[in-house]
Amino acid sequence: MASVKLTGVKKIYDNKVVAVHDFDLDIHDKEFVVFVGPSGCGKSTTLRMIAGLEDISEGTIEIDGEVVNDLQPKDRGIAMVFQNYALYPHMSVYDNIAFSLRLSKVPEDVVYDKVTKAAEILGITEYLMRKPRALSGGQRQRVAIGRAMVRDSKVFLMDEPLSNLDAKLRNQMRAEIILLREKLDTTFIYVTHDQTEAMTLGDRIVIMKDGYIMQVGTPTEVFEMPKNLFVAGFIGAPQMNFINTKLLCEGGKYYVTPFGVKLPVEGEKAEMLAAKNVQTKDIVLGVRPEHIRLAEAGEPAIKTKLLVNEMMGSEIHLHVSTEDDTRLIVRVPTVDLSKEERNAMTAGHELAVTFEGKVMHFFDPESSENLLV
Amino acid sequence: MKNEKRHMGLKAANRLSNTAIYILLIVISVVWLLPFVFILLQSFRVESTWQVGYVIPQQWGFDNYIRLWNSDFKRWYLNTLIIALFSAVLVTVIQLCMSYTLSRFRFKMRGPLMRFMLILGMFPGMLTMIILYRVLADLGLTQANAVPGLILVGVASSGMGYYVSKGFFDTISKSLDEAARVDGATRLQVLYKIILPLAKPIVIYTILTAFMGPWGDFVFARYVAMGTSAGYNVAVGMYSWLTNDQINSWYTTFCAGGVMVALPVTILFLCLQKYYVEGVTGGAVKG
Amino acid sequence: MKRYSDMEFLRLSKWQKFLYKLVSFLVGIPLGIGRFFKKIDIAVKNGVLRVVSELKDVGVTFVHGDWKTKVSYVVMGFGNIARGQVLRGLLFLLFEAVFIFYMVTTGGYWLSKLGTLGTQGPESVYDPIYDTNTTVYHDNSFKILLYGVLTIFFIVAFVYTWWVNVRQNKLAEQIIKSGKKLKSGKDDLKSLVDDQFHKTLLALPMVGILVFTVLPIVFMVLVAFTNYDGSHNGYSNALFTWVGLKNFSTLFSWSSAGSTQSMSATFGEILVWTLMWAFFATFTNYFLGMGVAMAINKKGIRLKKMWRTILVMTVAIPQFISLLYVSKMFAADGLINQMLLGLGWIKQALPFWTDPTWARVTVIIINIWIGIPYLMLITTGILMNIPADLYESAKIDGANAWQQFHKITLPYMLFITGPYLLTSFTGNMNNFNVIYLLTGGGPTNAAASGAAGTVGHTDLLITWLFKITTGSDSQYYLAAVVGIMVFVVVAIISLVVYNVLPSIKNEEDYQ
Repeated sequence: MASVKLTGVKKIYDNKVVAVHDFDLDIHDKEFVVFVGPSGCGKSTTLRMIAGLEDISEGTIEIDGEVVNDLQPKDRGIAMVFQNYALYPHMSVYDNIAFSLRLSKVPEDVVYDKVTKAAEILGITEYLMRKPRALSGGQRQRVAIGRAMVRDSKVFLMDEPLSNLDAKLRNQMRAEIILLREKLDTTFIYVTHDQTEAMTLGDRIVIMKDGYIMQVGTPTEVFEMPKNLFVAGFIGAPQMNFINTKLLCEGGKYYVTPFGVKLPVEGEKAEMLAAKNVQTKDIVLGVRPEHIRLAEAGEPAIKTKLLVNEMMGSEIHLHVSTEDDTRLIVRVPTVDLSKEERNAMTAGHELAVTFEGKVMHFFDPESSENLLV
Repeated sequence: MKNEKRHMGLKAANRLSNTAIYILLIVISVVWLLPFVFILLQSFRVESTWQVGYVIPQQWGFDNYIRLWNSDFKRWYLNTLIIALFSAVLVTVIQLCMSYTLSRFRFKMRGPLMRFMLILGMFPGMLTMIILYRVLADLGLTQANAVPGLILVGVASSGMGYYVSKGFFDTISKSLDEAARVDGATRLQVLYKIILPLAKPIVIYTILTAFMGPWGDFVFARYVAMGTSAGYNVAVGMYSWLTNDQINSWYTTFCAGGVMVALPVTILFLCLQKYYVEGVTGGAVKG
Repeated sequence: MKRYSDMEFLRLSKWQKFLYKLVSFLVGIPLGIGRFFKKIDIAVKNGVLRVVSELKDVGVTFVHGDWKTKVSYVVMGFGNIARGQVLRGLLFLLFEAVFIFYMVTTGGYWLSKLGTLGTQGPESVYDPIYDTNTTVYHDNSFKILLYGVLTIFFIVAFVYTWWVNVRQNKLAEQIIKSGKKLKSGKDDLKSLVDDQFHKTLLALPMVGILVFTVLPIVFMVLVAFTNYDGSHNGYSNALFTWVGLKNFSTLFSWSSAGSTQSMSATFGEILVWTLMWAFFATFTNYFLGMGVAMAINKKGIRLKKMWRTILVMTVAIPQFISLLYVSKMFAADGLINQMLLGLGWIKQALPFWTDPTWARVTVIIINIWIGIPYLMLITTGILMNIPADLYESAKIDGANAWQQFHKITLPYMLFITGPYLLTSFTGNMNNFNVIYLLTGGGPTNAAASGAAGTVGHTDLLITWLFKITTGSDSQYYLAAVVGIMVFVVVAIISLVVYNVLPSIKNEEDYQ
């Protein structure tokens, strides 16, 4: 149970490659923070620096107010779950979980209590005498978590713990990690490349790219107000649509003109633009697929042609192309369409689409920053 | 119908090629084993002690073995055994220290060190023989005292042969080390609680090769012993039986000696074959 | 040479592609070597810069350091002790004391003589008491050279330790300034099994390598520049001394004496055979071993384990037994010739060891017999690791057995075993045992044999070196020169191969 503070943390490898640039972050006590980003963004490196498995080139890391730069991993009060589980193959499940306790000379009966309790929580009691290779992926994952649980650590580190599991098991384990968090009630730092995991698990999400932090915020913040094009594209699935267009400021009112169709900016977004006194300029307009809808007759609408129709069950993903060959994705709830409408939607079908003024995102094409942040 | 025909054809072709392979394998096995069978048979030949044009003795007996154990061979055998046992322990320790470190630790001098040893290895080892001999001579470890000298030299430079076991260590996932260190283990504890139990095949492989090496050690051993029979190992001693003026009276004794040397080593080897194979296939190529 | 773009390359015909690759490879060799020397150049420059900056740093530390630091410049470890790191300090101090003691008592003496390797040789002195001549020994060139080199090692170690001592003071001052605590002796001891564990583990092996490999090699390289031989053994008959590059010019001289050909011709002949031998020994074993492994691995072959064990068993039998035995088996009066004569198949003994060509072919064939089991083992492991789906997709694409071998198996094997092939090649160049125990280098090459001893047609550089060393003249200086040449050849081959092989370039790729 502790806060973790990273100040100006940098990782430079021997070959002068900078893996992490000036990383500043304050993680509060009992917070669940998720580092997310594509592979090679430096998220795992940062986690490993916190764990003490990687030297810190510059900056300081504090755990519970103490600078831990020069401490060995074992002296940092952390527990860690590895991506490939890293179970000791020659030890039984029981011995695996008991390993850290025995190293710190905990009496055997205490070891027994702690291990069996952890095993019970994780539902692996019946496998205690097995060797790791006799377990399935999900069971191994539980053992790895169990091994970290018994350490009573201040900070719980997880490095892509679910990425080796199949989709179904991953969903199940994700829910269990949320339960685990409630039971352990400690600080969590979780690394993943999967934005769904990040959104569902994190109190706060740190989105990284090429060693830089792109945005730090709650799931809602990063979803509703992405700081730049990268975050906007990374969070949310299917990916946000980006349209190169112009923002018009006419007599205090704002309009966008995607594909020559003039649509008004409305609500909060318009107020914010006005507050920032944004003038007419080129922008990248971002609209999430779920915010594009099929236009009703008479509405100003963008003309598109259907390329692919993906039936997902509860919703339909429509891949369409506009007159100048820009691809857009439209997400339509299945219930909104009648059977005839659905049957008509084959490749080449013409669709008119539009979107509301309050769901637009505006990015500067040069800096790719969100105009409103 | 046509399909069936082709199927049959495939089977027949397979059978043919398999038969060819069986014949090949039998021939290979015979060629590979015959010389050893010859040695064994000739070691029981009583009627003559020189090379003859037949293999199966006309008169069988243990004369050669009796003669063998009444010769200096006893001393040579003991010498070799002592060297082999010592190097099995010491060489293993040194090589494992070396290879484990180079596989697991990323310290500043690691790259330069490995490059340096690579370059050192390009010098023919024989070059150093002259000076090592002089140094051993100064320490009084030559001729009759060759055994400790050979152990010393053999063990001291064995760190250079770290490649095979490093290759094996490299195959053990590094996250095991990391997990153990997070779990509270020191590097020393990581080594003996996690890595060594997992490295059993390579430990046994190293012990086995370190033990087997001295049995065939020839050139340096000969140089160090310098004609003093008491300091010979089996290779040097038995070589002296096959020189042109000795071979006619010692040839069959050499065969008996060969059996005595090969037998224990081969039996040991066959028992531990599994580990040897694992070591070679797991580490040798990766280097 | 014209460089093709990827798209242009794809349009070339098969032969053009091959030719293009070959030419790029050949062009790449000098480029690679050029890069190598450039790298060395850069490394040297960086090294010099580094030393200069460290020297500056040492000066700056002295100027800005407190009095404890300043005293440490003379009394090593003083700063450590004064700041409470007693253990470290005492070790520094002890090292300094030992060093000074050594330099004063003996080191200085060896060093001062190193330039001449001794001036006063043994002399015969008349002993009036016993009325005989006795020999009085003075300088000992061998010891001067050996201990001179050792002393230089020691001085380098001392300078380095002194520098570490200075640095530690600097760091200690910084740490104290920042308000943190210095490591205690107990911490130091603890770290020896933890974050500094690699130093503990490496200490013993490195000392062994330093004393029993590095020192001898440095010594022998220096011997190449002296006239050290049997009649100048540096002590009991005559001193030896520096002769500059004379020995190298001897080896490369074109002048021939009487019936003996020139030294450079002999060296050239042996070098060519050494390379030929290494090539055949490596690749025959490699391909035949792979063939046997594939035969055993083939689906449907039974008793796989038994076939393997039969072959592997022969690995266990010490080579000297099998080599010596087989060598005698092929001798003129050996088993094979006697049997064939007895059967009446031949009228004269086959010249296995007496005809140069027969001898060379026979050693290569016997080497196959020795080497195949080991190669079979190595290749078996890799063959089984080739992903089965590669073969499955190749079969679906319509590849026959031969195409599967040379499009999938062979490239995969060559990629994985590239480094092994290189070490195997250089290992075979120095394969003393096989040649020496089989032929002893024979049959004698009369034209090449001369002052430096007998040279045979199957002699490798390494067996030649051995013969020079143990020959009647014991021309150690010549042996040293040959040794250096072996190093040069091996280094060049390795350098070229390293620049070509993909699998060596990146160690981490491989793990």
